[in-house]
Amino acid sequence: MSEHYPALLVILPLLASFFISAAGWLRPACCFPLAVAALGASLLVSLGLLSIVIGGGPVSYRLGGWAPPWGICYQVDHLNALVLAVVSVVGFINLTAARTHVKKDFPERAGPFYTLYVLFVTGLLGMVVTGDAFNLYVLLEIAAITGYALIAMGKGRAPLSSLNYIFMGTIGACFYLLGVGYLYIVTGSLNMEDIARLLPPLHGSKVVTVAFVIMMVGIWLKMGFFPLHAWLPNAYTYAPSPVSSLVAPLMTKVMVYVMIRMVVTVFTVDYAFGVLGLNEAVVWLAVIAIVAGSVLALAEKDVKRMLTFIVVAEVGYMVGGFWLGNRPGFTGAVLHIVNDALMTLCLFLAVGNIVYAKGNSRWESLPGLFRTMPWTMGALVVGALSIIGVPPTCGFFSKWYLLLGAIQGGHYGFLAALLFSSLVSVVLFFRIFEMGYFEPLGAPHGPTHGQDGTTTVREAPLGMLAPLWITALGLILVGLYTGQIVGRVIRHAVPAMMF
Amino acid sequence: MKTLGLIIVVLVGAVLVYATVDFPPFGDPASPASLHVSPRYIEKTVEETAVPNAVTSVLADYRGFDTMFETTVIFSAGVACFLLLRVSRRRPPASRQYRHRLTGLTFRVKDGREISLPLRDFEPLDSIWTPHDFIIEKVCRYLIPFIQLFGLYVIAHGHESPGGGFQGGVILGASIILLSVSHNLRTALQRMGEKASALFSPFGVLIYAGTGALCLVLGYNFLDYQALAALLPGGPIMARSHGIFLVEVGVGMAVMGTMVWIFKNLASLGRYDEGL
Repeated sequence: MSEHYPALLVILPLLASFFISAAGWLRPACCFPLAVAALGASLLVSLGLLSIVIGGGPVSYRLGGWAPPWGICYQVDHLNALVLAVVSVVGFINLTAARTHVKKDFPERAGPFYTLYVLFVTGLLGMVVTGDAFNLYVLLEIAAITGYALIAMGKGRAPLSSLNYIFMGTIGACFYLLGVGYLYIVTGSLNMEDIARLLPPLHGSKVVTVAFVIMMVGIWLKMGFFPLHAWLPNAYTYAPSPVSSLVAPLMTKVMVYVMIRMVVTVFTVDYAFGVLGLNEAVVWLAVIAIVAGSVLALAEKDVKRMLTFIVVAEVGYMVGGFWLGNRPGFTGAVLHIVNDALMTLCLFLAVGNIVYAKGNSRWESLPGLFRTMPWTMGALVVGALSIIGVPPTCGFFSKWYLLLGAIQGGHYGFLAALLFSSLVSVVLFFRIFEMGYFEPLGAPHGPTHGQDGTTTVREAPLGMLAPLWITALGLILVGLYTGQIVGRVIRHAVPAMMF
Repeated sequence: MKTLGLIIVVLVGAVLVYATVDFPPFGDPASPASLHVSPRYIEKTVEETAVPNAVTSVLADYRGFDTMFETTVIFSAGVACFLLLRVSRRRPPASRQYRHRLTGLTFRVKDGREISLPLRDFEPLDSIWTPHDFIIEKVCRYLIPFIQLFGLYVIAHGHESPGGGFQGGVILGASIILLSVSHNLRTALQRMGEKASALFSPFGVLIYAGTGALCLVLGYNFLDYQALAALLPGGPIMARSHGIFLVEVGVGMAVMGTMVWIFKNLASLGRYDEGL
């Protein structure tokens, strides 16, 4: 059975989504258990796949039984096995936390919500597992359409933000598709490894250059790489809590993976860093992204919105680290995909709990939160320390590798940007802690004038706290096992050309 | 901002034109696109899949996995429209209109009340007056069965001629939409209710993915239709052809269901009482 794992990983949630959709009409109570079963199964398969890849090297799977350049194949190596595990873990943990939100906010729409949720995760898994450039685009469409719909479910300006995201996201996907089309024109192939084999004689071709540039711009648009991030803050802020904590950790990270995959597998490191020589320029773009994201985050007075700008800055970390083009930089970028997905999940889940209890996450809601919601705030502290980069949380280790990469590459601008962003994060989060811990209830900030100081604990339900704390502990565990992750997985994913 | 947009558009256009310099000549038989993978599709399709139409065999067999997800995209779009547009808590309309079947007199009932007389004598009307056009109604009523028959033909004949699940499904869906446009939304809903279209859509994709999963259960790779030879007559090559047919039927159902579903949500603004 294990030879079918790459297909099962995607097929199980896909099949389940049809049953969830039907159950929405026939037996609404079955929707959530079906979704949990589907993503749980796919989580187990992805972990199985990771252990197979660690034990026996890359795996490939021919869909429809056709050999690669003619048919579509799935190609699982160390790089995407790791990302697959992250995607399915985040999708599953967040799903368990989503139930309480769904029951409270839109119980009558649970069927379509879980259908689209599972399809979104299916889309992301399919994007990561595939070895075919066009198949990636099809799955990107699924992840995008379901993502737009889920974001538009929010209240207030959510539909407008989603519309904005649709415009930008469609342009991004179009650019990617155009790049694939250009590659097809000059190579006649859609299979990633086959294209890589056919490309070297064409390195001087203008078509390949334009394909590369336009594909990168498209992918950057989808990941919200500054200055192409304009859609991101609104879309992630106005989305319902369970959607923000699904889309924010995953979408940007998967697009970073797609960028790495395209450069490493399709165009090859030789071409991107050697022939075109764009790395210096892109790292500077990343420096701007990090600084701008951090500074813009400082201006926000809403925790959730502030986090969205941190996401923008974090995208800069990963893009910059990868384009440094050396071993520690690459390791840092890939490790940061793992860590940032978990950190963002932890923070957005915590904010989801605050929104659940208080109705919003603006600063007026913060005073006294450490007293009323100690567990939520405790997890928020762990997530914040990880974003800042305090050991032993995992954020420290990826930042450490990125710093090493910056020093090895002699790129001191990137080094300075990383340190600057860490310092800004300290300010950002300690401001929140200060308000939550020291400002008493009934202080000028709060709406609860005239109350005495005694407050009881009004914590979010266990169904939301358990996933949050599992994630928070995961941050520390991943931090402690960084050596294992780097040594057994990422080390094998680094292209041989990098030093 | 407008100037900036213009500059970006011109710049992107210039980049795209710049790339065309190195394109192979238009229609060049020696271009990479017509030398690398396509010769096998063109030359071997009958031999390998028993399907004369190379487009169908590429779409539903060689690259059938892509098509499965394209169908899923359509399904997702249907669910997304439903999720965003459907109004679950309906408010009664300000007034309702009815036509007395025998006399043709119309009545207006105000303040959200319903009429107390037996409903079979009365026919509900749209609140905005719509002409009751005898010719259009009759012509469409006689035309729709033929349209649907043609839709089925297009689905079934995708192996031999241009056509297939997507096109046939669109024709079938359009026939229901025509019923709704020529009569009214209620008539179309009586023929194909909300639940029916909402279940058609996932069921169609399920047929597709289920066929693939069946191949997996029978011990072959996902979507490797050869596996169906164990269940269907004609050997492994014919099994590919049969597999393609099954999958096309699924696509047709999914496309039809989704089209009708999206139309109803859009036309009635998610209220499912009246529209167009």
